[in-house]
Amino acid sequence: MYSRKAAPRRLERRTLRDLQRLLGPENVLHEPEDVLLYEYDGSVEVARPDCVVFPQTTEQVAGLVQIANRDRVPVVGRGAGTGLSGGALAREGGIVVVFSRMNRILEIDLENQRAVVQPGVVNLDLTKAVEHAGLYFAPDPSSQKACTIGGNVAENAGGPHTLAYGVTTNHVLGLELVLMDGSVVRVGGRTPDTPGYDLTGLLVGSEGTLALVTEITVRLLRAPEAVKTLLAVFDRVDDATATVVEITARAITPAACEMLDGWTLRAVEDFIHAGFPLDAAAVLLIELEGLTEAVEVQAAQVFDVCTRCRAREVRLARDETERQRLWAGRKNAFGAVGRLSPSYYTQDGVIPRTKLPETLHRIEQIGATYGFQIGNVFHAGDGNLHPIILFDSRDPDQFARAVAASTAIMEHCLSVGGALTGEHGVGMEKSELMPRMFTDDDLELMRRVRDVFNPLGLLNPGKILPLGKGCGEIRVQPLPLRSSLPA
Amino acid sequence: MSAPGTAALARLADLVGADHVLTDPLSLSRYAVDGRLPWAAVRPGTAEEVAEIVRWARAETLALVPTGSGTKLDLGMPPLRYDVAVDCSRLDRIIAYDPADLTLSVEAGMRVAALEAVLARHGQMLPLEMPFYDAMTIGGLLASGSSGPQRQLYGAPRDFLLGAEFVTGEGRRAKSGGRVVKNVTGYDFHRLLIGSLGSLAIFTVANFRTFPRPPAQALFVASFAELDGALALRRALVQSPLTPTALELVSPALAQRLTPQAAWLPSGHWAVLVLVGGERAVVERHAHDLARMARSANAAALTRLDAEPMNRLWSRLREFPSLACEISPAPAIVRLNTLPSELGALAVRAETTAGRHRVPVALLLRGVGILYVLLLPDASSAETLARLAAAVGELLQAGAEYGSALVEFCPPELKQVVNVWGVVARRNDLGLMRQLKQVFDPDNVLSPGRHIGGI
Repeated sequence: MYSRKAAPRRLERRTLRDLQRLLGPENVLHEPEDVLLYEYDGSVEVARPDCVVFPQTTEQVAGLVQIANRDRVPVVGRGAGTGLSGGALAREGGIVVVFSRMNRILEIDLENQRAVVQPGVVNLDLTKAVEHAGLYFAPDPSSQKACTIGGNVAENAGGPHTLAYGVTTNHVLGLELVLMDGSVVRVGGRTPDTPGYDLTGLLVGSEGTLALVTEITVRLLRAPEAVKTLLAVFDRVDDATATVVEITARAITPAACEMLDGWTLRAVEDFIHAGFPLDAAAVLLIELEGLTEAVEVQAAQVFDVCTRCRAREVRLARDETERQRLWAGRKNAFGAVGRLSPSYYTQDGVIPRTKLPETLHRIEQIGATYGFQIGNVFHAGDGNLHPIILFDSRDPDQFARAVAASTAIMEHCLSVGGALTGEHGVGMEKSELMPRMFTDDDLELMRRVRDVFNPLGLLNPGKILPLGKGCGEIRVQPLPLRSSLPA
Repeated sequence: MSAPGTAALARLADLVGADHVLTDPLSLSRYAVDGRLPWAAVRPGTAEEVAEIVRWARAETLALVPTGSGTKLDLGMPPLRYDVAVDCSRLDRIIAYDPADLTLSVEAGMRVAALEAVLARHGQMLPLEMPFYDAMTIGGLLASGSSGPQRQLYGAPRDFLLGAEFVTGEGRRAKSGGRVVKNVTGYDFHRLLIGSLGSLAIFTVANFRTFPRPPAQALFVASFAELDGALALRRALVQSPLTPTALELVSPALAQRLTPQAAWLPSGHWAVLVLVGGERAVVERHAHDLARMARSANAAALTRLDAEPMNRLWSRLREFPSLACEISPAPAIVRLNTLPSELGALAVRAETTAGRHRVPVALLLRGVGILYVLLLPDASSAETLARLAAAVGELLQAGAEYGSALVEFCPPELKQVVNVWGVVARRNDLGLMRQLKQVFDPDNVLSPGRHIGGI
């Protein structure tokens, strides 16, 4: 949100020449009109790279990193550019490394439910390659038709079904890394618990600040035998949030539990025709998966909770077509909203599930204070909010107010014991908010660990860690966590 | 170790109170690591005291070994230096427990069994059944990288640890992650610290997501005359839609120790143990499908245990290291990590290797791809230990071919000739690990020399 164009640095002639020699001139873009496309990702930020390269092998990645290191040029990895926190933007210019030509599935081991992929493999393509055997790759971000597994690894991406199955880090077993000195290191492996420190666990979600990932070993899950998708319709938002609270408190574990508020579902319905009722205040899209017997029991429990919480209607998707249509409504919600406004800003914060009702009230207040309609379409089941603020980025006043509203929402999340980001990453969007969640010592440790991998700060500079180092006047204190014990 | 400076000890007593500094031989014997004793043990009561102790040790150039209840202190190589044990068992409070959010924040010295009792009152649990269950602490199980049979369904602790607070080797308090169930803010140091044996930092607080206790549970035991049948059942199970909590294959030598002469587990037979939890209908569905699968795999028998008999057998299997100690005066446990499809071949190789060195052996195969080889020599003579060492060395080599391997437990003498971390020659990630150690613990205060590659 701290939009700032990088001053083009003009690469040294020899940097460009050596990159062209290494990769072939056709795999190096450097004319301003060619690199223009890469100054955006899914966030509201803009930053123009000096050149964009398309390596095809690990060796080429290692070679280009060595050139960048020698000439002190920043290097930023990029998958499909669908990220929402500015993770793939060249904040300080330099080389954007696009992995779209390293998009091969290297190995599929159906017996052991493993796959080895290059980082540019599109998330959904992996599932398509194994679904004939009843397997799938669990992380399912809304952008899964486009986003790459390399990008998922960098951001530790989530999705609706992470409620039951965990985020990317729970499905990655091993990585091949290219370090900033050009060396190639393997961490983890195909087998569980490789002895030594869990470097795989450290690398997943490090947002491209520690290494470039060139190969990924993932776990595949077996598709459940039964799936039931329920749409619960509510006349009051409070009833919908109370339902989520109650489902959690009863420890019913749906595979997904998504909420769309009335304003958002109307925007979606207009565009997608998913079958959402236009006059509802909110809907919950709840999916139950597993053994037939387990799904039957859970569906009855969920139905009971929804009814007690005054759902107007609980509708069971009759068939796969209806189920897919409901999910299309959810997964295209942001696209639908985008039609309504020149710009929209999707936030990503997390709260304890018990705080959901008060949090939606607070978001509404914040919208009123700053003069915005704020929509809510989010992963209610794991407390992962995605408020959408519609604004016009061409209007500096609106832009500033959108930033302020967004910050106010994040402050609320932290004040109830939540987190700054549940799945989109810190990126450049929230790096300056990090001191609200972490102490100086926490951040200093992160900085020093980053320096082990990335000593010159050339790898994805300006991400995760605040730039306001040493500026006492802008430093903010972490908010104290509320302590709670059950009665 | 050199005798303590009185002044140094006095400063330590100032930090935590003289009552919490132990120097008498009887107390210290509980903190032995591979037979080596510290000259003092300190029992901090707060995270800040842990930090002060580390800063004190750093200033005095002393080496610390953090510990919880001391059940797994013999993991890893013997420490290069060992002055003071940091006993975290007084850090035993629940910081926050929000049953309605299924999240928990707990101090690292709390015993898992005590914690489970609290969770059970709210119908919840953590899937942390593993060896030394009654004594082990949260911090100890995390630092040791332990996992148990429930991993089949719930994953390892790394999969449900949400965040942690810890004290680095510089004596700084830091944290990572958070208390909410979904969070990608900042680097995941809490995962990095799992299995680090206290060589990077000392856990002070751990945050978990909790799970509902299954309303019904049952343990199914299928017996097989041959390993192949047991493997066939494993394969049929994991390729089915069933959702077992645990799936363990046990060789005859271990199986006969689990239960006294039951007709359904004939002597000389392999046992496949399948733990199932969930709604009653879910358990019955498993019972039904398992019966069919067991028949197809030519099981000699399939029995179902509920309630007390289930718990008795299950906890005996969970405590398999204790079984090894019952059987042998000098047991070694080698853990091999492999692909599930390779478990059978590796099991055969392990039995052959042990046989060649005339070391009695028992095997525990975990469905997710872990093979525990229990080497159970019937004496502890020098000659026996030499054969044991040779067998362990070959198993570590085999483990490296199939994935990875390490020694989880062995007579301390063995560590003079075997590196328990296994074969690392083909790995190139140890350099990064050393550099991370430098960042967290630049003066090598914490558990020096115990971890992989001499870290």
